[in-house]
Amino acid sequence: MTLLHRSSRRYLTRHPWLMGLSVLGVAIGVAVVVAIDLANTSASRAFELSAETVTGAATHQVVGAGGALDDDVYRRLRAAGIRPSAPIVEGYGSLERGDRTFQVVGIDPLADAPFRPYLGTGAGSDLDLGTFMTDDAALMSAPTAEAIGLSSGDTLRVGIEGTTHPVVLSGLISPQNERTRRAVANLLVVDVSTAQQLFDQAGQLSRIDLLTPSAASAREAYLRRVRESLPDGAQLRRSDTRTETVAQMTKAFDLNLTALSLLALIVGAFLIYNTMTFSVVQRRALIGRLRALGVTRGEVFRLVLGEAAVLGVVGSGIGLLLGIVLASGLVQLLAQTINDLYFVVEVSELSVPAWTLTKGALLGVGTTLAAALPPAQEATAASVSTVLRRSTRESTLRRRAPGGAGFGLLVAAAGSLLLLVTEQSIWAGYGALFCLLVGAAFMIPWAVVGLSNGARPLLGRAAGVIGRMAARGVVTNLSRTGVAIAALTIAIASTVGVGVMIDSFRGTVTSWLEQSLQADVYVQPPSLVFRRSTATIDSTVARRLRNVAGVEGAYSVRRVTVRADVGRTDLVAVEPGPETADIYQLKAGTPETAWEAVRSGPSVLVSEPYSYRYDVGVGDTLRLQTDRGQQPFAVEGVYYDYGSDLGVALMSRSTYEQFYEDRGVSGLAFAAADTTSVDAL
Amino acid sequence: MPDASSPLVQLDALTKTYREGDQERAVLQEVSLRLNRGDFSVLMGRSGAGKSTLLNLISGIDQPTSGRVRIGDTDLTGKSETERTRFRRSHVGFVFQSFNLISTLTVGENVRLPLELAGRAPRATKDRARAMLDRVGLADRADQFPDRLSGGEQQRVAVARALAHEPLLVLADEPTGNLDYDTGQAVLTLLSDLVVDTDTTLLVATHDPEVVPRADRVLHLHGGSLHEEVPEYITSGT
Repeated sequence: MTLLHRSSRRYLTRHPWLMGLSVLGVAIGVAVVVAIDLANTSASRAFELSAETVTGAATHQVVGAGGALDDDVYRRLRAAGIRPSAPIVEGYGSLERGDRTFQVVGIDPLADAPFRPYLGTGAGSDLDLGTFMTDDAALMSAPTAEAIGLSSGDTLRVGIEGTTHPVVLSGLISPQNERTRRAVANLLVVDVSTAQQLFDQAGQLSRIDLLTPSAASAREAYLRRVRESLPDGAQLRRSDTRTETVAQMTKAFDLNLTALSLLALIVGAFLIYNTMTFSVVQRRALIGRLRALGVTRGEVFRLVLGEAAVLGVVGSGIGLLLGIVLASGLVQLLAQTINDLYFVVEVSELSVPAWTLTKGALLGVGTTLAAALPPAQEATAASVSTVLRRSTRESTLRRRAPGGAGFGLLVAAAGSLLLLVTEQSIWAGYGALFCLLVGAAFMIPWAVVGLSNGARPLLGRAAGVIGRMAARGVVTNLSRTGVAIAALTIAIASTVGVGVMIDSFRGTVTSWLEQSLQADVYVQPPSLVFRRSTATIDSTVARRLRNVAGVEGAYSVRRVTVRADVGRTDLVAVEPGPETADIYQLKAGTPETAWEAVRSGPSVLVSEPYSYRYDVGVGDTLRLQTDRGQQPFAVEGVYYDYGSDLGVALMSRSTYEQFYEDRGVSGLAFAAADTTSVDAL
Repeated sequence: MPDASSPLVQLDALTKTYREGDQERAVLQEVSLRLNRGDFSVLMGRSGAGKSTLLNLISGIDQPTSGRVRIGDTDLTGKSETERTRFRRSHVGFVFQSFNLISTLTVGENVRLPLELAGRAPRATKDRARAMLDRVGLADRADQFPDRLSGGEQQRVAVARALAHEPLLVLADEPTGNLDYDTGQAVLTLLSDLVVDTDTTLLVATHDPEVVPRADRVLHLHGGSLHEEVPEYITSGT
């Protein structure tokens, strides 16, 4: 170690608070970024694993228009010689014991072995296929069963859409490796007929799995044969489409989390910048002495950056450890949010990929070096004689303040322009926000000089010489106060900005809810995905509810997921009543003509998020996959909706029944008669 | 190495101006000077006369507005900032009024620093530093940090550091300014003895008239111009 490095090391160890603050800044920034990344990765990985498990070796799938597929399609494919092929009914259920959510997969054990051999249902298996296929029996991963204290022969109580079903645990799946162990950890395998019964989908399948030949020409011929055997509404797609769709759903959610975590790193960078500047300013005389003795600018520059690198490495190391600890708590919260908003995912283990840790470490060290660059440059840019006198630097900074403010104004203006030009892109939005923050930071020193000069006479009157000194002191130490005030400004601006945004959004949602919830009583079956309830109310229950005494009006809602030309679409079918036009406030389109069109024919309204996400507006045509094949629907209006960030398309119940075989109801809204109290109803 | 018969320091028509607001102020105007190898010269002048500016120009810390600075065979005015710094680390020693020791290095390390910067081998730097500290009577304080030393001791370390790497030229800026009379005299004796022993050229900028009797040449800086005064003890032959 050279004497210069030794001197540098001693400076750091003699200033533990300064060093600690820098390390803390990096550590917190890295911890938040890594924790969110790990939690995101773990949730995605858990979903991918469960998707891969259920998909197995299947290369293609046949799916229905509204999510369900008539099981006659399977018979038709088998008759056409399409083998191997396997029917699947899948959904989610919660197990009372252990309070866990399971992916329930209904398979045909006689056809399934080529697709999912690890389930142990094929030839050579010691599973009693007779029991499995005739009774309400299920298979579960052996380690999971052990973890929640279950053994073969026990009766499970599986909750699905508000109904509890008893199912016998008829066998245990013994995973052959770690990957399979994790993949089947939250899987409940039942016979396809049992699954149809559990999900109230008699005669319907979720999909049919196919395994195409590997040779290209044979594969094309095979797929052509499959397409020729399919009825209208059924569609052939690649198996990996499903994972891609899910990734698309959560893209904006993931991006927002990542951007917020990066904000923590930016605040950390300010902390680094501040402490490194402070350490350079404090050592200005020392650096001047070294320069006088013959230490070159490059050597001083490398010395300061070297110190920053050490702080960055130590901070990043601590940050990585903290991040893993934080992620283990965060992952459950994140999984809960994904469950509430998008799809069911059970994350039982934290994935810690090396790439995430490498990325976090690089980000931490990189940000530290970037933040230390200006102070390192400052330490070396001035000539030795100037370095020996700090006042020169402060006066230089004061002279440059108006220029800096002008530059800041330009950067902020560029950010605003970016926001105006590319308002659809979330990346551009964050880029614009970053420009505004940086622009504001550059304007701070100039504002500090102006405000301090303005405050001097006032403080002088209030506190005499001390007051004037205080105001003057802020300006004379501009190299330190400017940065500290800029960091504080950004922190406060972020807090106020997010606070105002949340408050304003909350106010808008409250008034939207008051507008939208005009019925007296709402009924909806429990669903594992809270915001996208596609669960079905039992038809007898729905009928009985409509005839309850005191009900003056009853309106049903059906929510399904269908495919459209623009992408996966949540479709809502409603029975338009006299007050419907008041409930759905249109952002675009005329209420009278829009609702008239929706009531009478193949027309839809789309929610504002849907319009934004897919760039669809009034006058456009939406092509939806229906049980009558792909059909065009005219978009007649865009309405305000804060219920789903994915957006929905809305049509009348009569149009829905015209194009889809489904007669299920996802929710009911009741208006009480004038003579009946809502509580009594 | 320069030719022993030619001047070691050669300043030609050196001018240095500073900008103050909209106005330019000339600190040095057309200053010319020759210093020979082994000369002990003292530079006198009032505060703000430009003594430190002249030392900064000679050492290459600053660049003149016009004119030429030549040390030995090297024309510093034609060199880049990095080249001047590298020249300074090898050929110039500094003694400052406020000692300017590196607080994060021990006394021994402070003396070793210019040797290490000049590219000497670690073993050699240790031996040379020990020898220099021995010469200034502080060998037993080598492992202490500068803040444990008195002002006089710190300045003795600074003298050892300035001469450790055997520079061609030592520049001292008010070396006794922060010391009491006796300590100041002791430091001056040490400094002059060492430069005589090593045949090093020494230029001391000071207010202190006590330095004058020790010098071969006395230079006065006034109004940006340099005037040489022949000391009375030289003309009288005492």
